[in-house]
Amino acid sequence: MPASTHLGSQLVDLCSVLLLLCCFAIVAQRRLSACVDLFALQSAFLAATAALVAFLTGHKHIYFAAALTIVIKVIVLPRILRKVIERLNVSRELGMNINIPAGLLICGALVIIAFFITQPIIPLGYLLTRDSLAIALAIILIGFFTMIARQKAITQMVGFLVMENGVFLGATAAAYGMPLIVELGVFFDVLVAGLIVGIYTHRLQDTFDSVDTSTLTVLKE
Amino acid sequence: MWSVIVLLAGPVLAGLLSLVIHRARVLHVVNFSTMLALAVAETALTRQVLAEGSVMTLGGLVYVDALSDFILVIITAIGLSCSLYMWSYMDDRVARGVIAPKRLGHFFFLFHMFLFAMVAATMANSLGVQWVALEGTTLATTFLIAFFRKRESLEAGWKYLILCSVGIALALFGVVLTYYSSVRVLGDKSLALNMIALIGVANQLDPNVLKLAFIFMLVGYGTKVGLVPMHSWLPDAYSEAPAPIAAMLAGVLETVAVYTVLRSKALVDQALPSEFTGNLLLTFGLLSFIVASLFILIQHNYKRLFAYSSIEHMGLAMIGFGVGGMIGTFGGLFHLLNHAVAKALAFFVAGNIHRRFDTLEIDGVRGLARVQPITAVAILVAGCALVGLPPFSPFVSELLVVSAVAAQDFSSDTMHVGRFVTMTISDEMRSLGIVVLFLFFAVVLFGGFMFRVGAMVWGAPPAGIAQGESWTAGHVPLMIMIVALLGLGFVLPEPIQTLLTRAVNVIVVR
Repeated sequence: MPASTHLGSQLVDLCSVLLLLCCFAIVAQRRLSACVDLFALQSAFLAATAALVAFLTGHKHIYFAAALTIVIKVIVLPRILRKVIERLNVSRELGMNINIPAGLLICGALVIIAFFITQPIIPLGYLLTRDSLAIALAIILIGFFTMIARQKAITQMVGFLVMENGVFLGATAAAYGMPLIVELGVFFDVLVAGLIVGIYTHRLQDTFDSVDTSTLTVLKE
Repeated sequence: MWSVIVLLAGPVLAGLLSLVIHRARVLHVVNFSTMLALAVAETALTRQVLAEGSVMTLGGLVYVDALSDFILVIITAIGLSCSLYMWSYMDDRVARGVIAPKRLGHFFFLFHMFLFAMVAATMANSLGVQWVALEGTTLATTFLIAFFRKRESLEAGWKYLILCSVGIALALFGVVLTYYSSVRVLGDKSLALNMIALIGVANQLDPNVLKLAFIFMLVGYGTKVGLVPMHSWLPDAYSEAPAPIAAMLAGVLETVAVYTVLRSKALVDQALPSEFTGNLLLTFGLLSFIVASLFILIQHNYKRLFAYSSIEHMGLAMIGFGVGGMIGTFGGLFHLLNHAVAKALAFFVAGNIHRRFDTLEIDGVRGLARVQPITAVAILVAGCALVGLPPFSPFVSELLVVSAVAAQDFSSDTMHVGRFVTMTISDEMRSLGIVVLFLFFAVVLFGGFMFRVGAMVWGAPPAGIAQGESWTAGHVPLMIMIVALLGLGFVLPEPIQTLLTRAVNVIVVR
């Protein structure tokens, strides 16, 4: 392996690990606005990873995906979520289904599981970025866990966006980006989902006087 | 070519038009004529598919073969009857002040976006575009479910949005994994998610990656199908959604979600022995069937009753696909059509009952035979069809599925089905075990379901409920569906049969 590729591979791994660290920080964070900031930071790292992969491999269209990530996930979506938080006047997550230390331990276990699951398929990947696939799966699982562990509508949305970041890292790092039309469609869906959540929190606040999804218990068997 | 364009552009245009039109009458005319145009275009497309085998246009973005065309038939047929039903249903809701007149336009806009997303998901050649369109259906329908803006409907809409988005994010990882395995084999990036290109090289793809990809896609798309244990959003969503939307969700959206699962199954089966996908589908199908039939016993809300029946029927279709072979797959596909018609009929009926009795509780509805005689006949037909009684068509498809399960050891080479379910000695005992289990819960379901329906139809009507029912536009689809359920039980028209047989050949790997 030439030295430049080796260095590049190390850099991509480093960026992926930074994304994973952001996940842990989100799980450990009670303040809603900090969660949103951490999501924005994670998306910035994602854009950096994508740009790095684009630079190292010469696939020009990944630059485009990186730019879209910055616009939508670093700027627009966090802005929408911050507006929602301001308007609703909620700043902290008080009730959690699982407390923070236990949550962090579970996340550690999830990372191990992710590496375990992807072990048989990792050798197939490109040399440059193949370890990122395991990290991507770990991020998806932690995002999933965040959605289960938290009760506020905003943090559930952040959990969903983190999952989406994980999928995107997998696509960019492991397979050098999806076809452009698919990437555009995914970005569009994520953006619309963000807008819809914004409208929902508004209506939930009006109707239930709370954005705590644990108050959503009218419907059950 | 033109038929594909009409099918895709029709809903978009109608949706945009709905935003600028304010008169209810014009909205209904636009809606109905769009659906009529879609039905005509779909008929033309079916003829083309029957003649040419498959259609690929719009620069390879659209690919329609017998399987996707069959799903499109279901979408347009149910959509057309739904637009007729909505004519009387929505006007009535507006007249009673349940929704403001100016929100009718929003309703039709979302409805047509929902329709567009489903058509796009069915026609997409790329697995990625298919994913984007299926997520689009979630985004379009969440506000339709919450359209009445009550506490319960907001809760149901939110639950639906979150659960289905999560599910579908997992499915996206499955798509990424498929891409991961194919991009090096195919080389060309733009082709690497194309269904035809993938099928062509499927035997060169890495089996381990495909296994993982299929599990992610099954769990993800299975959430939208409503398979147990990912089903918890479904009863809430169906019971809170306006009746025509519930009919579309249960009859059509589930079918489209099953279609996406079938597409990935067809791909993975090329690279792996079909027991792998078959066992997974069979396990999920049997679990859904059993859990749903138990939950049906404790329902007090008739819309939730129909919702659990949907889970049960999807489980049944999955058992058919899981067993595989010609008979099982044919039965499963035919069951999708029968279930779509029967379930849409059931939800239309539920809408009629709800408008008269103003309650969703089964205990609050008595003497339907005297209060709404036409609706009473329709609910009896829907009930008998949904529990699988002859002479209605679901009986035929259920019989096909059961006989496929019983005969699996002799008719097809997909052995060892049911390893997860019964640990018996021989293959014969295994399939016998599944059949016994299946029939037992079918009886449980029959009792539970017909007991509830019977309670609603007979007895003395509660005081203060107006009696008698006059004909409206909304009754026309009820009659057509009753005739369809009866007719399909006796004869399967030649074009549908050819379409189904060819669709089976798309799924079953030889």
